[in-house]
Amino acid sequence: MSEAPAVTIEAITKRYGRTLALDAVSFEVRRGELFALLGPNGAGKTTLLHILCTILRADSGVATTNGVDVAKDPLGARRNIGVVFQEPSLDDRLTVWENLNFHGLVYGVPAAIRSKRIDDMLAIVELSDWRDKLVRTLSSGMKRRLEIARALVHESRLLFLDEPTVGLDAQSRDRMWRYIHRLREERGLTVVVTTHYIEEVENCDRVCVIDHGKVLAIDSPQTLKAQHGQQLLRLVPRDDATRAEILAAYPDRIVRDRDELVLKSDGDAFVESLFGKFGLRIRRLAVEDPSLESVFLTLTGRELRDQAASARDLTYEFGKRGGEHTK
Amino acid sequence: MTQAEARDQQRFGLMLQLGGVYAIWLREVKRAVRDRGQLIGGVIRPLLYVLIMGIGLNPYFRGEIYGEVKFVVPYTYLQFIFPAVIALNILYTSVQSAVSVIWDREFGFLREVLVSPLPRVSILLGKVLGGATVAMFHGSLVLALAPYADIGLTFASVAKGLGLMFLLAFALTSAGVILAGRIRSFEGFGVFSNAVILPLYFLSSSVFPLDPSLSSAQMRVVYPEWLVFLVEINPLTYAVDAMRGAFIHFNQFDPRIGPVVLIGMAVFFFSWALHEFRKA
Ligand SMILES: Nc1ncnc2c1ncn2[C@@H]1O[C@H](COP(=O)(O)OP(=O)(O)O)[C@@H](O)[C@H]1O
Ligand SMILES: [Mg+2]
Repeated sequence: MSEAPAVTIEAITKRYGRTLALDAVSFEVRRGELFALLGPNGAGKTTLLHILCTILRADSGVATTNGVDVAKDPLGARRNIGVVFQEPSLDDRLTVWENLNFHGLVYGVPAAIRSKRIDDMLAIVELSDWRDKLVRTLSSGMKRRLEIARALVHESRLLFLDEPTVGLDAQSRDRMWRYIHRLREERGLTVVVTTHYIEEVENCDRVCVIDHGKVLAIDSPQTLKAQHGQQLLRLVPRDDATRAEILAAYPDRIVRDRDELVLKSDGDAFVESLFGKFGLRIRRLAVEDPSLESVFLTLTGRELRDQAASARDLTYEFGKRGGEHTK
Repeated sequence: MTQAEARDQQRFGLMLQLGGVYAIWLREVKRAVRDRGQLIGGVIRPLLYVLIMGIGLNPYFRGEIYGEVKFVVPYTYLQFIFPAVIALNILYTSVQSAVSVIWDREFGFLREVLVSPLPRVSILLGKVLGGATVAMFHGSLVLALAPYADIGLTFASVAKGLGLMFLLAFALTSAGVILAGRIRSFEGFGVFSNAVILPLYFLSSSVFPLDPSLSSAQMRVVYPEWLVFLVEINPLTYAVDAMRGAFIHFNQFDPRIGPVVLIGMAVFFFSWALHEFRKA
C-alpha cells in the first residue's frame, strides 16, 4: 500500500445539472511530488479536489488517495489527507491554538503528541507569537498559513491546497511557497496544489493543465515548454483595417484576437517579414519567448491572466459576504 | 454508506469518537460564551417576562366566585409562568443554534468538519449536545429569579428540572438543525424565528392556563375550540407542563405525559436531523 501512488484518478466525471465540470479526467500523482493543477476559473480544479477529499461524489470513475478508494471508504480516505480549501474554513471566534486543538481532537491525535505537534506547526508557519489570539485578528496571509499548519496537525502525508495564494500580496505569496517547499523537504509530503498563477507553477515537479473539465497536458514545466511552448508575437495594430489584413494574411498563426493580436512565431524571419509588410501600421509589438504562459495560451486559446482578476474578485466577494473572515 | 460507516465507526474507535464529539461540543460552548449578544438576550428575556409581565399580571390571575376571591389555579401568576419562561429561554437559544449551523455552512467551517474522519452521527451529536448545553444554561439563568417569583427550589426540583430542560433543549436544537437545512439565508431566518417561536410559545399554555376547574365542555365555551385544539397538539405544551410539575408541583395533564413527549421529541427530531445531515 505504501507503494501505491499518492493519488490515482481514473475517468472521473462530474456534472452539475447541465454543466460538465469534469470530463473523464485521469492522472496519477506520485509519492513525494509537488503537483500543480493549473487552469482558469471554472476549469474544474476545485470540483476535482472536492471529489478527492470526499466532500463531493463523482458521477463516474474511480479515485484513490494513499491507495484508498474515496467513494468506497470515505472515512478511511479522509484520515490521511490534509486539506486547505479555497475559501477560508477557520473558526475566527476561536484562537489560533483552539483551532489547531479542535483539529487534533477531531482527527484523534492523542493528547501527548497533540500539543507538541501544534507547537511545531506554529513554529514552522511563524505564528507561535499568535497562538492565543482570536483568528479574526489575523491578516488573510496569516490565516492561510494557519490553515496549512492545521492541515498537518494529524501528520497527513498528502496535502491538498486549493488556490493557497489567491488574494494574497506578492510578499505573502512568496512566503507561503517557502513554507510549502520547506514542509515538503522536511516531511516528505506529497502536495497537490491548484493555482492560476503561472509563475508559481515553475517550481513544481509536474503540472496538469486543465480547462473546461478536460486535462490538456501533464508534464514537468520544462517539458511542457519544450513541447507546447511557442514564441509568440503580441501586437496592437494601428487601425481596424490593419487588424483585418493581418488576420487575413496569417490565418493559421492567430492564437488570440482581442485588443491585442497574438500570433505564433517561429523565429526572427517571421518577425521581419511581418514588420516588412505592416511596418508603421503596427502601434506596438512584443516578442515573447516560450513560457508556461504561452503553453497555456496555445493549449486553450485563452490567457490565464484574464481569469486571475475574476478569481480575486470572487474571493473578495466571499470576504464581503463572510464579513468576519476579512475583519 | 451506512454499512461503510458502521465499519468505520468500529475502526476509528469509541474513544476517538468521543474526543471528536467533545471537540465539537466545546467549540459550541466557547462560541456561545463569547457571543455577548446572545447572553444579553438570555438575561433580558426572563427579566421581561417574569419581572414585568409576571408581576404586572399577577393581581389579575384570580377569579371572583360567589364573592370569594380565588386564584384560578392554586398558584400565583408569577409561579405559573415561571417554568414557561424557562422553556421560552430554551426555545430561543436552541433556535439560535440553528443560526450557527447556517453560519458554519455558508462560511466554510462545516467543510473542516466534513473532511475529518468523524462520521456524521458524531458531528451532529457534538453539535446538538453543544447547542443543548448552551440552551440549558440559558434556561437555568431563569432560576436566579426564583425568589422573586416565590418559588422554593429544592435539590430534587432543580435536578428534575435540569433533566427536563436538557431533554427539551436537545429536542429543540435538533429541530433547529433541521430548519437550518431548509433555510438559505439569514434574512429568511429572522422572519422564521418570529413566525414560529412566539406562536409556539403562546400556544403552549405558557401564559394562560387551561382552567382545570372547568370541565372540558365548559372550557370549550370559555375558550374557542380552535385555541384549545392548537394548545393540545402543541408538543411544547407538555414540556411546559412537565416543567411546572418539577418546579411548582402543578400539572394540567397527566404528569407522565410530559417526560414521554419530551423523550419522544428528542429521539424523533435527532433522527430526522441525522437523516437530513447524511443526505446533504
Ligand atoms: N455547486 C455548484 N453548482 C453548479 N455548478 C457548479 C458548482 N460548483 C462549480 N460549478 C461549476 O463547475 C465548473 C467548475 O467549477 P470549479 O471546480 O469551481 O472550478 P475552478 O475551481 O477551477 O475555478 C464551473 O463551470 C462552475 O460554474
Ligand atoms: Mg476553485
